[in-house]
Formats: sequence, structure tokens, C-alpha cells
Amino acid sequence: MLLRSLQRGLRIGAIAFAILTYLILIGVPTRLGALAMPVLALLTALIFWVALRGGKSKQAIANRAPAPLFLTGTTAGLVAGVLTASLIAGFAQLLMAGVNVQPVFDKMVPMNVAALYGVMPGALAAGELPPWGWLWQAALLTLAGVAGALLVLIERALRQRTWSSGGALRWLTMLLPFILLAFVVWLGSPGVTLGGNNRSTLRLLMAMAAIGSGLFALRAARPGREQRLLALLLLAGLIYLPFTLDQFQNSVMGIVFIFVMMGLGLNIVVGFAGLLDLGYVAFFAIGAYVYAFLAAPFASPALSSLLTSLGIPVDGPLVSFWAAIPITMLAAGLGGVLLGIPVLRLRGDYLAIVTLGFGEIIRLFMLNLSDLTNGPRGMLNVAPPYLFGYSFGNPREIFILALLGAGVIAFAAYRLDGSRLGRAWIAMREDEDVAQATGINLARTKLLAFAIGALFAGLAGQLYAARQMNIFPDNFSLFVSIDTLSLVIVGGMGSIPGVVLGALALKGLPEVLRGIDEYRIVTFAALLVIMMIVRPEGILPSTRRRRELHEAGGPASEPAAALEPALPSDYRTLDGGKP
Amino acid sequence: MALLEAQAVTKIFGGLVAVGGVDLAVEERAIVSLIGPNGAGKTTFFNCLTGLYCPEEGDIIFDGGSLVGLRSDQIIALGMARTYQNIRLFGSMTAIENVLVGQHVRLRSTPLGAIFQSPGTRREEQKAEQQARELLAFVGLAGKGDMIAKNLPYGDQRLLEVARALGSRPKLLLLDEPAAGMNPRETDGMMELIHRLRDELGITILLIEHDMKVVMSISDRVSVLDYGKKIAEGRPDEVRSDPRVIEAYLGAGVLTEHTA
Repeated sequence: MLLRSLQRGLRIGAIAFAILTYLILIGVPTRLGALAMPVLALLTALIFWVALRGGKSKQAIANRAPAPLFLTGTTAGLVAGVLTASLIAGFAQLLMAGVNVQPVFDKMVPMNVAALYGVMPGALAAGELPPWGWLWQAALLTLAGVAGALLVLIERALRQRTWSSGGALRWLTMLLPFILLAFVVWLGSPGVTLGGNNRSTLRLLMAMAAIGSGLFALRAARPGREQRLLALLLLAGLIYLPFTLDQFQNSVMGIVFIFVMMGLGLNIVVGFAGLLDLGYVAFFAIGAYVYAFLAAPFASPALSSLLTSLGIPVDGPLVSFWAAIPITMLAAGLGGVLLGIPVLRLRGDYLAIVTLGFGEIIRLFMLNLSDLTNGPRGMLNVAPPYLFGYSFGNPREIFILALLGAGVIAFAAYRLDGSRLGRAWIAMREDEDVAQATGINLARTKLLAFAIGALFAGLAGQLYAARQMNIFPDNFSLFVSIDTLSLVIVGGMGSIPGVVLGALALKGLPEVLRGIDEYRIVTFAALLVIMMIVRPEGILPSTRRRRELHEAGGPASEPAAALEPALPSDYRTLDGGKP
Repeated sequence: MALLEAQAVTKIFGGLVAVGGVDLAVEERAIVSLIGPNGAGKTTFFNCLTGLYCPEEGDIIFDGGSLVGLRSDQIIALGMARTYQNIRLFGSMTAIENVLVGQHVRLRSTPLGAIFQSPGTRREEQKAEQQARELLAFVGLAGKGDMIAKNLPYGDQRLLEVARALGSRPKLLLLDEPAAGMNPRETDGMMELIHRLRDELGITILLIEHDMKVVMSISDRVSVLDYGKKIAEGRPDEVRSDPRVIEAYLGAGVLTEHTA
């Protein structure tokens, strides 16, 4: 028992050390400034908490005994602390001795190392480091290990309370978004200096955390009146958000929610209907370009000469933003049907390849039809929306519009999910042949999925064009499709709140991490890989997806499933089926 | 006039004649069994009838019209539903959702109606759900509507497949080995259900079955397939004593055991 606790502690400590080393090497301390070490320790405490709580079921957490837990936590903290502090001391000695480490470790500048000691870079150059630096760092991380163990115990206590007296944890989950929102508002008020230079980024992060925790809160609330009331309050908070955030934060949130719109559309195609579409950007591009044609006809050589010959002046938009909405959506929807028809008979990988091609075709069209689209020079000066004669195109207003658009789309998707068509999509995703033999017209059902998904992408594209004001074919590369697909997968396929969370994580977090430049993509990729191993169904999966990926569905079958190793779903029906 | 009339139906896979010129007539409100050794082409014949396969030759007349060349979703809309030998439910859906998918062809709601929850859609959905619960109760799954299909016990999954097929309000129901893998008690329940399908709902039944006790006791007529050819047809007692059937399929031992 003792040995096992120590072993586990060593292992967890080594993992934490690896993560800390990575964060230090990519220059995170530089960004954090004097607070670097405490913040890293806090992060380590969270890592320890997740590692120490281990088992996923409530039962496993309730069974953790305090003594071995603290032993494991302290060992882990000590291991991580000693190793990390020594690493930092090593780099400090190298830098002070004037060794040039940058060719290998390009981020190990004096500022980075000095931040870990909580001093100015000048002190490092002068060779004056605090004498207790090493001990301080090691102690801080050891403390993180103890804190991690403590967190597990606190969670255990809260969970046990849940059973006896009505859910402290639930109330905490439901209150969290409002606490975070209040924090965001407080951070924005004049005179607050928390976070120094990074205050704006910190606020953005907190705003995203508030939205994300709101989704969890909704899930924790009891269905019925409690949930409705909470939804109303959260909605009020969400509406208030654009008015408290600044230009930069609103701009990031705008793009995040444009991707929420896209993700919700793709979620219908991939999550509901199970059609793997890798060319989804095509409909986004169609929406953006059709709006550009309508709102900036002068930017297109062919269009402007045609309109001039018809005697229509081309110095302004043809129709307003609002009147353009049905046109762009219909155009994108038509694109969806046109793509759908040739791929009706394709499944799985083949479908993915063909749709991938379709996405590229649209982009190449935009690039090479320079008479119509002005080619790589792009469509410039696309008109922003106007409301009562005032421009409605600054980041705050775009964020409001994106929120509105995402809300409408989420509502439509939610209603469709529970409808006759939604059931047909799921049936088709599970077994195409049987679905057809049960009376589902596959052609119609697939085309509807493509068309509805495309309609939503078209709307997102229009808003994107209005936001950017200048659009180029390069804005619509394959990576937009991949980003959108990843956010659907990370969030949880087929889950509407999951899409929102996925967009926050995949489109929002990189903006927060902007300081670490070239490493953010690597960091992100690593996070994605870990995520797919640990939680393949996504962060906030739909109940149906969870059922598909984790065999144990109902509470009745849980104990049996816990004993069996994870088998692919077909297995169990086979041996459970034949007597 | 027979409800279903298969005329010289032929299905060929490469060089193998899976079904070769099979004629079969099913009268309205009859219970007809199709039997034969493994690989005799029974399920292939079912697949031809329900549009999963398109037969190379022959014609299938159902309720006065030809089915050849129609898609399976068109065929079920005409009133022919089926179950599967290896259960093919929509596993991640609940029992009631499975039946609702079965009702798909009888429902009319549109995507726009669903988004705006038009009164028509709401009424239709309510009615459909109530009907689905009634169907579940009819097959003996009352109260299990909200269970996930794949978590149901094996016997219940078979019943759910019947309920799903009933959702399309069929005139003819094709059952592919409905009693396979069931214990004697469940088998008796299934036989009773098949009788009730015919007597209470007026549904004509065509079934494939290996359990001779079931076949002999519930069928009005029995057809025997062997190597894709129909080798015998008639009342159960006629087929039972047909020497070709004994040779091809039942074996003398089984026969004496049953007559004894």
C-alpha cells in the first residue's frame, strides 16, 4: 500500500515535471511575468487533482482514503518541485555564465528565467538571484501536491453532501458562471490593475470560462422551472457581455460565435446525419461571396460592368445586409443540394474525399474566376450591416449579431433534433440499409441534411464577410473545414452545447495563448490528442453519442460493464445475442 | 386474389443462383412459413421482396402492383414491413424512438413545421408517440419505452423489432426467424403474438423459421426452399410427410420425433 502510493506519486510527479518543462521551454513564464511561479504552481495543483482523483465514477472518488492520498500528493509535488527547480537553476547558471542557449531553446531568454524567480531580468544579468530561489520553487510545487490531494478530499466531501442534503456541488456549478461574469465585469471597471499588461487577455479568458461554465450549469440544473429560470438568467448575462467587453475581446468573441454558427450547421451534417463532410467551408465561402457581390458589386469587374450596362449605379450595395440574408442562405443551401446529389451513394471515407474536393473547387473558383470575384485581390469594402441608418459593423455589434445568429441556429437545430427528420437522421447514421427499409427516403434525408447545414454556413459566411469587410479566397482554405470539424468533435458530436464549448476551446483559447506564438499550434495538437484518448465522445457529448461510445447505457448495466474490458459495440451484441 | 404473389423470382450472385424461379402466393390474413436448410435462399428471398435486393428475373405482385424496381422505403410505404434474422435495431435510440422511426412513412411533418412547432406537427407527434406506446404494449413491452434499445434483453429486442415494423401499419409482415435464440417460454409468447397480429390487427404473416414446433403449429401453409428452388408447398401436415422435404431438410429422425 505504502509502496504503491509512493510509486504513483513518483509517476504523477514525473508527468507534472514534463508538462512544466514544456511550459517553461515555450516561454510561458515570460508572459506571466512576476506571477509566473505561483500561476504554474496553481496549474500543477489542478493537474495533481485530476491525476489523483483517478477513477471517473463517483464511487471511485468517494473511496479515496486521506492518508495514501496525501502521501501520493506530497511525493508527486516533491518530485515535480525538486526536478523543476533544479532545471530552472541549471538554466539560470547557464545564462549567468553567458552561455548562448538560444539556438536550441529559443525562448530561454533572461526575462523568461527571471520571471520564474519573480525578479527583473536585470537581476539575472547581474548575477543577483534570490538566495532561497531554489527552495522557494520546490516548496511551492510540493505545496501544489498537497493542494491537489486536498482538492480531491474537498470534492469527495461535496459529493457525499450531494446525497444527503441536496447538492452543494450542483449549486456551485450553477453559481459559477455568475461569479465568473461578475469577475469579468469587475476586471473591466476602471482602476483595477490585476493581471497587469495581460488584463485584457485575462478578461477574455474569464469571459469564455463564464460562457463555458454556463453550459455546464444548464446541464446541472433540474429540468423544469429551475432550468428555465437559470437559462433566462444566463441569457441576460450573455446579452450583457458584448457591452462590457472591449474592442479586442468583442472581436475575438465575434469570430468564436461565427464559428459556433458554422459548427452548429456542420453538427447537423456530421453529428446528426453522420455524413462526414470535409468541404464544409464551401458553403461558408458561398455565403461570404454572395453577400460580397450584393454589398460590394463595384469590387467585381464583371458584375460592375454588367450593372452599368443595365443602368444601375454600382457605387454602393445593391441590397441591405438584412435583405441579403435570405439570398445568401438560399445560395448556400442550393450549393448544399448540388454537392449532395452526386455524393448520395457514397459513404464514409469516399464521401469525405469527395466533399474535400468540393471545398477546394469552390476556393479555386473564387481564386481563378477573377472577372467575377476579383481573384486573389479579393472583394474589398464589403458593406457592414446598417440599422436605422447607423453602421452596425464594429466588433461589439458583430458579436451581438453572431450571438443572435448562433441562438437562432441553435434553436432550429434543437427543434430538428427531436423531430421526425431528426430521428430519420439518427436512424440513417446507425444503419443506412435498415433505415431505408424502415421507410426513410435516403436521398431526401441526406439532401436535407446537406442543405440545412449549408444554409447555416451561408449565414455565418455572410456575417464573416460583413465583419472582415475585405474577403479573399485564402480566407476559405481547407483549414476552416478542419477547424470546424475539430470543434464539433472536441465539443461532442451531435451536442449543441458541445459545439459552443468546442468553439470557445478551439477558436477562443488560441487567441488567449497568442503570446506563445509558434508553439500554440503544437500545444493545441497535443491537447487534442490527449483529449481524444481520454474522452473520445467530446467535452459535452450528447447522451446518444455517449451511449454509442461507452457501452454502459442504463444504470442497470453499469456494474457488469465495469468488470468487462472495453469492447467495440458490435462485440457485445454478438455474444450477448446468441444463446 | 392473393395479397402477395411472387412469380419466378430469381436472384443470382456471380455464378451462384441464390433464389431460382421461386413462386409463392400468400393469401390475405394467412400465416405462411418459409423453411429450408441453411443457405437455401430464404433470407435472400425476403431481401428481394422488401427491395434490399433487386431480383434479376420474375415479378413480385403485392396488393395489385409490381414491387420490382422499387426502393425499400417505397415498398414499406405500400404496406410490407419486416424484421431481421440478426436483430438490427437502432441501438442508441430508445425503444419508443425505434417505433417512431418505424412510423416514419405514416407521418407527414416537415422540417419547417418541426422548427416552428406548428400545431399540426405538435398534434401529429403527440399522436405518434401515443400510438408507439400502444404498439409497445401490444407486443408486450409496456413500460419499457424509454429504455435504450441495445440495453434491452435479447427477447425484448426481437419484440421491439416487431413493434417497429408495426409502426408502418403493414398489411403484410415478414418475420425472419422471430423465435431464433429464444427460450421455450419466449417462443410460446412469440407464437401467441403472431396469432394476435393476424387475429386482432388483421395482418398477413410470412415467416422464416427453423423451430419446427413453431412452424408446424402456427402455419396455414408451408413452403420449402432448398438450393434456391422451391421443392414443396402445402399444409403443414402435407409438407411434413413429403419425402423430398424429409430428404432435403428435416431428416427422418426429426420427423418421427415430431409425429411421435
